[in-house]
Amino acid sequence: MSETVVEVRDLSKYYPPDVKAVDGISFTIGAGQIFSMLGPNGAGKTTTVEILEGLRNPTSGEVMIFGQNILKDYSKLRKRVGILPQNFEPFDLLKPWEAIQYWTQLYDIRITKKEINRALERVGLFERRNIHSKKLSGGEKRKLGIALSLVNNPELLFLDEPTTGLDPKGRRDLWALINEIKEKGTTVFLTTHYLDEAERLADDVSIMHKGKIIAEGSPDNLVEKYGKATIVVLEGAGSSGLQKLKEKGIDAHLDDADERDVLVPVRKHSEMKSMMCTLASSDINMADIYTRRETLEDVFLNLVGSKMEDGVLKE
Amino acid sequence: MFFALVFPVLIILVFGAIFMGGGTSKITLHAQNLDEGSQGDAFLNALNSTTLFDIVEIPSNESIEQYINNNSLTVAIFIPKNFTFDIGEHLLFNEPGTVDIIIYGDPSKSTYGTVIGAAEAVAEGMNFRLIGKIPIINTVPININPGDDGETQFNYIDFYLPGIVGFTVMTNSLFAMTSTCAEYRQRNYYKLLATTNIKKWEWLVSKFIFYTLLLWLALVLTYFVGRAVFDMQAQLTPIAFVIIAVGAFTFTAMGMLVGIVVKDPEGASAIANAIGFPMMFLSGTFFPLEMMPDYLQIVAGVMPLTYLNNGLRDTMVYFNDGNALINLAIVFIIGIVFFILASKFMSWKEK
Repeated sequence: MSETVVEVRDLSKYYPPDVKAVDGISFTIGAGQIFSMLGPNGAGKTTTVEILEGLRNPTSGEVMIFGQNILKDYSKLRKRVGILPQNFEPFDLLKPWEAIQYWTQLYDIRITKKEINRALERVGLFERRNIHSKKLSGGEKRKLGIALSLVNNPELLFLDEPTTGLDPKGRRDLWALINEIKEKGTTVFLTTHYLDEAERLADDVSIMHKGKIIAEGSPDNLVEKYGKATIVVLEGAGSSGLQKLKEKGIDAHLDDADERDVLVPVRKHSEMKSMMCTLASSDINMADIYTRRETLEDVFLNLVGSKMEDGVLKE
Repeated sequence: MFFALVFPVLIILVFGAIFMGGGTSKITLHAQNLDEGSQGDAFLNALNSTTLFDIVEIPSNESIEQYINNNSLTVAIFIPKNFTFDIGEHLLFNEPGTVDIIIYGDPSKSTYGTVIGAAEAVAEGMNFRLIGKIPIINTVPININPGDDGETQFNYIDFYLPGIVGFTVMTNSLFAMTSTCAEYRQRNYYKLLATTNIKKWEWLVSKFIFYTLLLWLALVLTYFVGRAVFDMQAQLTPIAFVIIAVGAFTFTAMGMLVGIVVKDPEGASAIANAIGFPMMFLSGTFFPLEMMPDYLQIVAGVMPLTYLNNGLRDTMVYFNDGNALINLAIVFIIGIVFFILASKFMSWKEK
């Protein structure tokens, strides 16, 4: 087990009269990990991360970061922690290189022009260093935010929903950047409501719902523990294939992603053989057939009973 | 929304109160009556009966010029020692010439004209009552403009400049700071700052320094434009720079205090306007305070901009640094109170 960087014990945050934003959660984060707190909007992720960032006071509980109780004195931790707040917007009239320079001054750090350029290169903004920040794209603004959060070379980086609202390319670029940050040894605390993001990036995931952690572990462990089935994918079978399966009494549904593939969950290994025989006799046109394990999305559905799209639970 | 709905209402209320004060507005007229007879009192009583003035007596042992200077008066009246005696001599011996009442004043002020007009009317009435034909009592206006030494002539613009500068100090510091605070909260900049090493008081001081430098530049620019275009004679003095720094401090702190309660830049703008515009008109920026009804003068007395404007006029126009420092101290004390409150109640953290 790696060194513990964050240790949270029985943390709660209540708002009058009876809102339990965070309700007695506990978890630990090991050094060099990407830890993802996953959950829908309103689950309590941002409240939790802001308590850990020293921006909110908890109602009760204990938070230790690098072995120090953050409620007693956060100032000593500031230089070891980097933060990208939710919905980060840079100062409109600062150019990226100016923003980096300004931010280092707020940390009492002297920085050379070469180091500024290196910081911008690291996040892929070197070519855009002389553009006013208000003219940067959403993804570029987040990259600049990450660059700012890294100016003090933090050992622990908090990223609060860094990819929310970005297009697929922007998200992929940021994922690559976050992985690169991890590879350099920085521990990352990532909140997200994107299941695929948590699955791709995180070493450990805590699924949060209504202020509580309802499941935790590595993505593989979560799928193993909370997954209910193996998925047989009938690629390209479409709605006609689905119809034929349903006529044979097989529980199946179309893949939400493209509505071309038919997904057949097989909950017991012993069911697989009979299901394959039924399939063979069904005369379904398909491009390919293969199995895959369940994903975090399926796990979330199994645990919460609803799907999640853009942070919103779908009944 | 503010300029469409609230602003016109404020304007009609403020200007209505200033110009339609229901006839209750009186000019405070300082008078020194050294006359040992009854005619001096009769003259002042007649002036008093016009209901235009609140007459304040200047002690007889004071030098009136010194008193005017010490109190930054814009108008004062002086009745000489032998006023009654001289009138009697003229009546008895038909001596040529006149008996003079001296009206010290600042010609750029409307109150001076009002006092001269009223005093001339009273003098004329007394002349008529005394002998019915040859005027004996005469009013002699004396310009108290310090620069009016035959070489320097002050104009309205000289008295207007400190008001403009004071107004600029208020708008830049108060309006900008209020909306900055709201924007910082809305865009999570406070959270960003809270994650760095910078202290809250350091940020507050940095804003104060920024606005001070900006406003010093504004003062110098306004001054030189005024000189170049209007041949303005008011002077830039070191105390003017100090007053501007203190004004920037006070209104920056005030803006921060207002910024604590507003949630977004639109709301900030509305609240800053609602505070700033009445203050602008009621603090002697554009109109002499003497023009306003008594109750508005009381309101003006609690506004920091009043003391900022007065201090700037004292040092730049009247060259009365003693009074300027008193006004400066008042602005500074108000600023300290605002700063302490802003530091105490402003939070970069969430609840």
